[in-house]
Amino acid sequence: MRLKTLLCTSALVSLGATGATADGHGWSLAKAAEPYAGTTVDVVFLLRPGYEAIEAMLPAFEEETGIKVNIIKHPYENALGEQVRDFVAQGDLDIALIDLVWIGNFAENEWIVPVEEIQASYPDIIDPDLDMDDFFPLVLNAFGGWNDTIYGLPFDNYSGLMFYNRCMLEEAGFDGPPETWEELKDTYGPALTKDGKYAFALQSKRNETQSADSFARVLWPFGGSFLDDEFKSNLMSEESQAGLKFRQDLMQYMPDGIVAYDHAETVNAFAQGDVAMITEWSAFYSTVVSPETSAVADCVEIAPEPMGPAGRKPALGGFSLAVAEQADDDEKAAAWLFIQWATSKANAKEYLERGGVPARQSVYQDEGLAETYKFIPALVESWQDGVPEFRPRFAEWPEITEIVQEWGTKMMLGEVTTEEGAQEIGTRMEEVLESAGYYDGDKPLAQ
Amino acid sequence: MQNRVSKRTLFGFIGPAVFGLAIVGIAPLLYAVWTSLHFFNLTKLRQVEFIGLANYWEVLTDEVFWQAMGRTFFLLGTALPLQIGLGLGIALLLHQPGLTLVKTLCRLSLVLPMATTYAVVGLLGQVMFNQKFGVVNQLMGGADINWIGDPQNAFIMIVFWDVWQWTPFVALVLLAGLTMVPGEVEEAARLETKSWWVILRYVQLPFLLPGLTAVLILRTADTLKLFDMVFTLTRGGPGAATEFISLMIQRVGFRAFDQGLASAQAVILLIITIVLAQIYIRLFYKEV
Repeated sequence: MRLKTLLCTSALVSLGATGATADGHGWSLAKAAEPYAGTTVDVVFLLRPGYEAIEAMLPAFEEETGIKVNIIKHPYENALGEQVRDFVAQGDLDIALIDLVWIGNFAENEWIVPVEEIQASYPDIIDPDLDMDDFFPLVLNAFGGWNDTIYGLPFDNYSGLMFYNRCMLEEAGFDGPPETWEELKDTYGPALTKDGKYAFALQSKRNETQSADSFARVLWPFGGSFLDDEFKSNLMSEESQAGLKFRQDLMQYMPDGIVAYDHAETVNAFAQGDVAMITEWSAFYSTVVSPETSAVADCVEIAPEPMGPAGRKPALGGFSLAVAEQADDDEKAAAWLFIQWATSKANAKEYLERGGVPARQSVYQDEGLAETYKFIPALVESWQDGVPEFRPRFAEWPEITEIVQEWGTKMMLGEVTTEEGAQEIGTRMEEVLESAGYYDGDKPLAQ
Repeated sequence: MQNRVSKRTLFGFIGPAVFGLAIVGIAPLLYAVWTSLHFFNLTKLRQVEFIGLANYWEVLTDEVFWQAMGRTFFLLGTALPLQIGLGLGIALLLHQPGLTLVKTLCRLSLVLPMATTYAVVGLLGQVMFNQKFGVVNQLMGGADINWIGDPQNAFIMIVFWDVWQWTPFVALVLLAGLTMVPGEVEEAARLETKSWWVILRYVQLPFLLPGLTAVLILRTADTLKLFDMVFTLTRGGPGAATEFISLMIQRVGFRAFDQGLASAQAVILLIITIVLAQIYIRLFYKEV
């Protein structure tokens, strides 16, 4: 009986809240941070809801640890350049904010420290309740991992979702969103495009949006991809061409000038009721359901992205936080404490409630949350079977994405055919990969 | 006269300016030339190596570079004549006698567009030319013109903003030239003919030529390095419709991080600018 009681008590303790668990291990954030009180860590944040959420929670961390977090805000388009220049110049940043397509670049340049190295160098600051297995494996590996090494912890996490206007769909006689991309184009497109309203908007501005949200989004569901197994262009394959031609056909159901639409314009068109459906990042949920920013807040419903002939293959994107190699020892420890806290199980619920999207599996097991946040079921489903190399994550992506952006937009404008554009992208992409040494065997074919 | 001034005095006056120029102008230029001769990618600094003129060869044989250059000169060829024509018209109007207070107010207001930051002009453009909510379409009777998402319209929009911002500069330079015309010469000409064109062509134009040459040189250089306004307004799009040469250099240097190639592009652009300036001076510049 005593043994049973002991076992039950142990199990309860191990399943308990972070604080209790930590106390059970004799570990607390305040105690771990004592040697680093007064340290300031510098980090780049974006102007997005997930960052505002953690910023609002930050005073509690600073009060408990005495560590000051200096946030430098940049729009997404500037964030990579600012960080690269800082790391090259051995600047002030102590934490790297890493989009999943930057991870190969940052890791290969040794600008970031592997998590294992932090754990070995600073055992006293590792939260016993860190529980790396609680992160969605796809998200942890795609956002924070490179070549089987984990560098960053998933922080601002996205999956592509379909946001649809239930009222507009019902008015047109539909009782739910399209299951497939073909259905969206052939059935929903004609029925919903009329009187100055459009069935769909696919953000396609010539920046990372064109590569990630538009070009790649139509490649994968149709069985296409950027590269084949030998790292040669796969854009001329039948499947890739089918996806790209589909996008051209679908444009008749999108607003004019869709090539000038970034996230803001697309979300705004949906929020104003001008567009019935969009495929957007989960991060924009709070914008479209808030009556302050959305005229259709009561009509918004969320579904997984439609399926193509090759399956669902939703867009995958998001950011991890990693300790910067250039930080000194105290800053590295303080940086880790902040990263660990910001991505912890204990804070996941509050982060979600404040507008962030955590990558902790445990938080989504709360059924009450799924009722409040309609995007959760679709998000969880998307993170079960995504494509980590949705956009290749190697160091050459910044060069390749520029090529995709230029020629992908030209395709949409009809300045070149999908074949001509794909041929041009493929040739230029292979030149970049060749000069990087992928074809000589100098670099492993990792993406 | 020169012999009376010691070299130390001369150096004392000119030296600081030369030193300052060397630090802020010549040193970065030399560094750019050095960079252009190397494979120099910010994300591959371990692979930096001397590659001679390979970057220059790549630029000179790159179709995209010459397309961007052609687009830039097309912008120059479109916007500059409009700026000179409108600027000359404004200058001639302000040169008319009478209405001193109104003319003073006009001259002051001409400074406003020039004083507006390029990036702010671009952001203003985003709002004003918005297809759905923009004031431009509203002023055109609720037209549904897609300004930013259509290649031709986006180019027209850039021309509009460039003309709006820099016509006042041309006007003020030409107005300064008109004030150099001796009053008695102009009065005598007016007694001889009533044709404003004859007066402009044979009396005023010789005094305008130095200013016009300066306008040509400055506006050419400004157009070749036009960046902020276009970057904030269209980011070079849609497609490559407004990707002018400076946007391309920024893209290569700071988004693909190939500093070597971007430096080679910048050095070639500098050479083109210098050659054009020399041509302008030889063709147009004449002392009265």
